[in-house]
Amino acid sequence: MQELLRARRVALLGGVYSNYLALAAALTDARARGAEQIFCLGDLGGFGPHPDRVFPLLQDAGVVCVQGNYDLAVAQGAADCGCGYSDPRDNHFARISYEYTVRNTSAPYRRWLGALPPALKFALGDRQVLLCHGSPRQVNEFLWESTTPNGLLERFCRETESEVLCFTHTGIKWHRALPSGRHAVNVGALGRPENDGTPRVWYTLLSAGHEPSVEFVPVAYDHEALAREMARERLPGEFVETIRSGWWTCCLESMPVRERARGRH
Amino acid sequence: MPGLSTSVPRVRSLEPSAPRVGFRELRQVWFQITGTLCNLSCRHCFNASGPRDPWLARLDADTVRRYIAEAETLGVREFYFTGGEPFLHPEILPLLGDALAVAPTTVLTNGTLIDEPTADRLARIADDAPYSLEIRVSLDAATAVENDAVRGRGTFAKALAAVRRLAARDLYPIVTATEIAAPATGPSLYERLRTTLLEARVTRPRIKILPVLPIGRCHGRGNARRITSDDLEGFDPARLQCTEARAVAAGGVYACPILAGLPGARLATDRLADALGPTALYHPVCFTCYETGIACRNF
Repeated sequence: MQELLRARRVALLGGVYSNYLALAAALTDARARGAEQIFCLGDLGGFGPHPDRVFPLLQDAGVVCVQGNYDLAVAQGAADCGCGYSDPRDNHFARISYEYTVRNTSAPYRRWLGALPPALKFALGDRQVLLCHGSPRQVNEFLWESTTPNGLLERFCRETESEVLCFTHTGIKWHRALPSGRHAVNVGALGRPENDGTPRVWYTLLSAGHEPSVEFVPVAYDHEALAREMARERLPGEFVETIRSGWWTCCLESMPVRERARGRH
Repeated sequence: MPGLSTSVPRVRSLEPSAPRVGFRELRQVWFQITGTLCNLSCRHCFNASGPRDPWLARLDADTVRRYIAEAETLGVREFYFTGGEPFLHPEILPLLGDALAVAPTTVLTNGTLIDEPTADRLARIADDAPYSLEIRVSLDAATAVENDAVRGRGTFAKALAAVRRLAARDLYPIVTATEIAAPATGPSLYERLRTTLLEARVTRPRIKILPVLPIGRCHGRGNARRITSDDLEGFDPARLQCTEARAVAAGGVYACPILAGLPGARLATDRLADALGPTALYHPVCFTCYETGIACRNF
């Protein structure tokens, strides 16, 4: 486990999924809101166009990244993205996305992705914060709000000696104060809207205090420009529709019933 | 399986010659809530459930609650209720509520007993729970003729009605099918079921396909190949659900939901914590898991 710094206000970015336009907007916004450090919890590619465009933005802004399943797969040239889908429709779209991303990620960035750590720890005030992609035990574990029990989160915190546990992978944000006083935060995703019928995306501000403050920040960006680029790159129309409408059109089959009921499809 | 005693008298030693896999951590706990009591007698049932002379007894509610409490202390990820037909258990609905207070919970049903009042009660339980209630409804083919040949006359219509009732209440069940009647050519079973559900105006159809298991009423189907130590060379044992799941059934705690109730798979008599050791891959069905990578969990 790599331990980093001590800070009082940080920004946490979830899956970027090649959405470099949303990333640029979020980086500007996070600095304006006083984030001392910006972290990204992995999955830099996938879904969106031109995967190489996110790396200079991250590096220039000094963003510290954790490795997601996509990053690991692209770095290793794995057979699939390792997202953990079990449904044939989900896997169909995942395959298209992955093959495009691998084809368009240059070798130096693949090596950079391969060197990212699987988890990071830092001190937020006097609290230990753990950052990972899926869960502390599995890079592609889906920690949805409706399927992640308190007992499991408490166990993760105990085992990692953390008071605040932060993760992404599902693409939909949530925060829960646990009975012990610890906190669990799914930081959401920058790469695509969160199935709420709006094109905005989200990142998370985490601030020290008597209790850690968790603020989810919406990000508006030129989603029409992204949609046009995706169409030009011949990415699936289903992906483009999600960027424009804010509703997920695929990768829905691993979603629990409660989250599924909130969407359109 | 018929003829096996409803009570398992002692913990048998693991099959000495079978290769074993270690246990990683407890993620899923399954309850064989009605044992093998079912209102149907499907011709491929993996544990030979039926309406008469169940070979495995049901669990009483206090036993289930005791295991739920223990599983919570072990950091369990999710619960599953199966059988037999779980909705034949007199306390299934309160038990689902008890489980949902601790972790997300799934109930596997043939759907034939889910009438409008039951669907209403399930919807209320789901609304009141902190975690998701998932309902899996079994169908084995996309038409009544093919399905009912496997599951019994009238079961297609009843199960489809249950799916529609549940979907109408935002409970969007997962239709679960085995490949017992899978078509040899043309669209896949998955695609056929999806088409059938959409034509029946089931919104957001969710489908899970499972292989036929060489056990129960399909005992002897295919070859009787068992896993050998050589098979495990270079194999990631995390792909086997017995490394992360346990099943509670009459007599104690078993290696997985498929083998629940079988003495050779029993690992403990009354505590999950005593059942978290290595598992013997002794049964031909272990080879099916190994070969197909199936997982009984939802996703």
